[in-house]
Amino acid sequence: MIELHGIQKNYVRGAEAVHALRGVDLEIGKGEFVSVVGPSGSGKTTMLHIMGCLDQPSMGVMKIDGAAVDQLPEKELVRIRREKIGFVFQQFHLIPGLSVYENVTLPLLFARREADEEKIRRLLSLIGLDSRRRHHPNQLSGGEMQRVAVARAMVNDPEVLFADEPTGNLDTENSDRIFDLLSALHDRGLTIVMVTHNNELAMRSQRIIRLQDGQVQN
Amino acid sequence: MDFIKLAVNNLLRHKIRSMLTLIGIAASVAVLFSIVSFNRGFEQGLDNELRKTGIHFMIVPAGCPHEVASLVLHGAVTPKFIDIETLDAARKISGVELASPMLVTQLANREMDRLDLVHGMDMAHVSALKPGWQLKGAVPEDDDGLIIGAEIAGHDNIQIGDTIRYGSRSFRVAAIIANTGSQEDAFVYMPIRALQEIVEKRDGLTAIGVKVAAPDRLDQVTEALAMQVPGIQIVTMNEVMRSLGTLANSAKVLGMSIAVIAMLISAVGVMNSILMAVFERTPEIGMMRAIGASKLDIFRIIMKETLLLTTCAGVAGIFVSSVAAGIIEGFVRNFMPYVPSGKMIHFEPLLALACIAFSLTVGLLAGGYPAWKASKINPIEAIKG
Repeated sequence: MIELHGIQKNYVRGAEAVHALRGVDLEIGKGEFVSVVGPSGSGKTTMLHIMGCLDQPSMGVMKIDGAAVDQLPEKELVRIRREKIGFVFQQFHLIPGLSVYENVTLPLLFARREADEEKIRRLLSLIGLDSRRRHHPNQLSGGEMQRVAVARAMVNDPEVLFADEPTGNLDTENSDRIFDLLSALHDRGLTIVMVTHNNELAMRSQRIIRLQDGQVQN
Repeated sequence: MDFIKLAVNNLLRHKIRSMLTLIGIAASVAVLFSIVSFNRGFEQGLDNELRKTGIHFMIVPAGCPHEVASLVLHGAVTPKFIDIETLDAARKISGVELASPMLVTQLANREMDRLDLVHGMDMAHVSALKPGWQLKGAVPEDDDGLIIGAEIAGHDNIQIGDTIRYGSRSFRVAAIIANTGSQEDAFVYMPIRALQEIVEKRDGLTAIGVKVAAPDRLDQVTEALAMQVPGIQIVTMNEVMRSLGTLANSAKVLGMSIAVIAMLISAVGVMNSILMAVFERTPEIGMMRAIGASKLDIFRIIMKETLLLTTCAGVAGIFVSSVAAGIIEGFVRNFMPYVPSGKMIHFEPLLALACIAFSLTVGLLAGGYPAWKASKINPIEAIKG
């Protein structure tokens, strides 16, 4: 489903040239649950952003479903993000004044799609927060906020879910709960790519990709 | 969920900041609406007042003729007088239909412990000079009768037949003028001979009001008069209007300048407020870009916030200026050299819409830069926080 061929990402930070990715070759199949691990600065998040069409590589080719996307114009990348990709972040990034329901339906606003209430309620039931759909983020715990973020990532029926340190701000119990939720989604056929520092959780995924100094370690 | 709801939510997240920004714009719109409305009311009021005088031009003593004319019209006392011979000369000029003497002064009303503005006039000319008056009672035919304005009558509860004393003379109230909405409501009209006696200026006049038979021949009449009666000053009602307009114009320009500067300051305030909101919400904007928002979507969200804010502020400003029209009018009157009587600030739907549209334009200009800045936020950097 996702192919990376010779992906390099270079940028300048101050006077320093940074080589974040140094020729990454990688394939992630449809329906896989992949964990990306590695020390800080190894290029995990950069790779996730490139795979999620938020960033473009300096060199190399990236394909989604067989089509090269690395040189597509911004408009096309936006379309892919709307239709094929879901994102979950470490910081949740829920909008404070909106209810749980409204936060979950936010991507539909950008996709110009009507909210199917039945479907949203099923999604909220899946994350165990249907009864709290009118609550606001400040009434939720960290684990609950992250579950809302997962539901938000799922509302557009993406083909792949990218999760960047989804348990980074959670305790063990909530981390397990989020992982179980991701596993449940994976069981329904969703492709999941999760960047994590939590080796224990990474071990429970189907496959682990280790990055070091911008390169995949065999 | 729609873009408007999202914009409303964003504004409500910082209620005090949004409210302060809104108050700034609302105050500017209120000032703008009040000043423009006042100016329009001023022009209409001036036009109405001059039309009610029933004369085409005035002969006034030496000095600034336009100033003297305006003072005479509004009952202020002038220190100079013109001679009675000028009146006779004016009446002999071909084309003059009516030349009526005027003497304006203040007399002590000891019973009421105040000074009354008294306008001496030839009572035989009342219907010609004051065609718009509606009188209760009759125009006095002797020198002991008065006509009084509605305001004085109402204030002192004066009825027809009551007596008013000025100095050693008693006068009978022969008629009361129905409310005119002008300064005339506060005048006392006295037969001119009686007033001349009281002020001991038997031949003194403050001005002579002249009505011509054919208004299109006004220039010829004034030229003939100037030729035959040297040393007089003639001022037509159109000139008075222009002169008062010029006098008031500087105040109007000052007012408009204040309104425009206030708008500019408010616009900067709006831009600053929205820009702050954009910087604070940078990670959120990055998140929105990641979950499918285009640059244009982000631009639209920020613009909608700004336009919503400025439109609400525009409506609030119009509401405030309409509700507080009396206070604002009283305040503005203090800065104007002359203001016609009556209400100057009126609610005009078209003007209100124009002011709201102006506020909206300010929103477009003030929101443009923050919206553009927000749309350019790099989602990767934003998400990192």
